Amino acid sequence: MSHDEVKDRAQLKDEFKDLREKLRGALPALGQPELRRDLWPEMLRRLEQPPVRVPWFDWVLLGVASAVAIFFPALIPALLYHL
Amino acid sequence: MNKHPLLRAYLAGIAVPTVFLLVIMTVYTMVRYVYNLPVPIERVIVFPMAFVPNLWGLWNVLHAAFLAPRRVPLGIFGCVLPLLLAPLGYGVARLLDFPIPIHELNLAPIGVLVGMIVYYLAWKYLVSSLNVELGIA
Repeated sequence: MSHDEVKDRAQLKDEFKDLREKLRGALPALGQPELRRDLWPEMLRRLEQPPVRVPWFDWVLLGVASAVAIFFPALIPALLYHL
Repeated sequence: MNKHPLLRAYLAGIAVPTVFLLVIMTVYTMVRYVYNLPVPIERVIVFPMAFVPNLWGLWNVLHAAFLAPRRVPLGIFGCVLPLLLAPLGYGVARLLDFPIPIHELNLAPIGVLVGMIVYYLAWKYLVSSLNVELGIA
């Protein structure tokens, strides 16, 4: 490696260092790096929640709506228009 | 997360029809420009694009502001919305000279009932879960 190359590399290193310091100065430090509360208990609570139970009459309603859509397909565009 | 509950209710309300809008726009584009259906759907597309999502949002705001404290079920309140939307949609279509096939009009009572069922399920399960996520319910 020649003397000029070593000099260029050292100059580049200084420029990077300078740029890094400028960026650090421009961005304010995070005031609160730690979370205010522990999120894990909430996550556990969420995991332990029972899955959504759909009552039988909602299945019946869904069946009725699907059956009507099959027997009267002309209704589908009108339904999409109102959704 | 206890700030602006009505704004959050509005956002939760518009989310579901906004997602459905993607489906509607895809179907619209396919039918109109791929299959060249000679029906000027673009005249009335403003209704599902603007009216419906905003009404869903406002409906959810109304529920959050006045009816949730009185424990009115969201599904029941949501299924009333087609009774408002159906005449509004019909009015917009008539105002913009959109040709409505006569068989569609004959099926309107069944359509409103099916719409109420779909809305009941959408509000009970989709909007309600969004309300829970946003800390409104």
